[in-house]
Amino acid sequence: MFIFRHYKSLVLIAVLFIIAIIMLSYNTRRLQTDSQTDGFFRKLVLEAAAPFQKLMHISSTSISESWEKYVYLVGVVEENKKLEKTVGELEAELLRYKEGHLEAQRLAKILAFKESLPYDFIAARVIAKEQAALSKIVIIDKGSFDGLRIGMPVVSSAGLVGRLIDVSWNVAKVLLIIDENSNVDVMLQRTRAQGIFSGMGYRGGALKYITKNQDVAEGDEVISSGMGGVFPKGLMIGRVSFVEKLDTELFLRIRVAPYVDFSKLEEVLVLVAEEKRRK
Amino acid sequence: MAYYLLLPVLSILVVALQTTIADIIFSGRLVIEISLIAVIYAGFRLDLFKGSILAFVFGFVFDCLVSSVIGLFTLIYLIIFVASYAVSLITDTQKLRLVALWGFVFALVEEALVILFYNLILRFDAMASIPFVFLPQAMVIGLFTPVFFYLMRRLEVYIYGKPLHRLERGGDSRISAEI
Repeated sequence: MFIFRHYKSLVLIAVLFIIAIIMLSYNTRRLQTDSQTDGFFRKLVLEAAAPFQKLMHISSTSISESWEKYVYLVGVVEENKKLEKTVGELEAELLRYKEGHLEAQRLAKILAFKESLPYDFIAARVIAKEQAALSKIVIIDKGSFDGLRIGMPVVSSAGLVGRLIDVSWNVAKVLLIIDENSNVDVMLQRTRAQGIFSGMGYRGGALKYITKNQDVAEGDEVISSGMGGVFPKGLMIGRVSFVEKLDTELFLRIRVAPYVDFSKLEEVLVLVAEEKRRK
Repeated sequence: MAYYLLLPVLSILVVALQTTIADIIFSGRLVIEISLIAVIYAGFRLDLFKGSILAFVFGFVFDCLVSSVIGLFTLIYLIIFVASYAVSLITDTQKLRLVALWGFVFALVEEALVILFYNLILRFDAMASIPFVFLPQAMVIGLFTPVFFYLMRRLEVYIYGKPLHRLERGGDSRISAEI
């Protein structure tokens, strides 16, 4: 009776399930083969969401700043209100100057970093941070109109940030190296031992497949090895923060603290060409 | 018609908003998945047709903006919608304690499906994230689900004049989402 009464809805649900399963299997294969494909609707959603995300990013930053700057001042006596107002105005002005100064410093740092490497970069601003249980993704304000393509590595002045997994016309999605789905071929700078850096969310990352006979110590620097063809060799990734040798396991258990502070990521560089063009 | 036109915009807003809220409250460590709560709400209160479209749209937008595997959350949200619809036929969905419990259960179901997918398809062991990410997140969703339902009930009163009491176990007096 229920089936007869709701047969239209049940047909719709079946169709939606089939579409979802087709999408999932297609994209799983795309993920496993690292193939580059365009998805019109995906791009459309990314483009449509970008203004909201920008707005909310700005709002959340303002709320956090307001919280830090003003909420603790609640309860100050009446006589100080006028003075407080002046201080508030001056602080706001100072904050603007500070923000400008910090931005200039960051940009100078990123420019120096850009100049120091033999690659061509496109600078981009982070406009949103998106995350699910296992996903750590940021959205940047540059897209295919600016020359970005899926798979391009993304760096900051501190080191490797991740790679592009979706590129729309004006925005792109960056899969961070700490995403649990991200793997990077790396090596230890001191011993040249090679392994795989796997993301572990906000806990940083793990360095896998380093055999027990290798010499690894806390503080060792981890860099990209250039294997796998996605990331160029020599990009800074992090520092070994913990090493454990277990008798029952074939490999060392190593934790790595990334150099990049992903919670404070504001500007990034997208590596668009391996070698700088000669002028 | 307005429902179907507003749904994509609303879903984008909700997904963008939930990340911002999570960023402010939990410094990005946990996500208050309002989109999942909305899907549970759809399962409890909307009819099959509108609810399934809502689950599909929310899942797809969530996939586009957040997930690295497009289609994963679309499928999971559809499964959760069907499961919550089935639950609504045997449970009193007006009781907020039960709503909280089901919110927690469905959050666990979602996370179990994510772990299964990562384990079976991508050959990636996500078990280590259970105590750090999945359980706290399920608890947060469990806590926020009654709040969401309460706010939606207030909205129902605002729109329809009174909260709609369902008489059915067959879905006849479900709330129409037409505005």
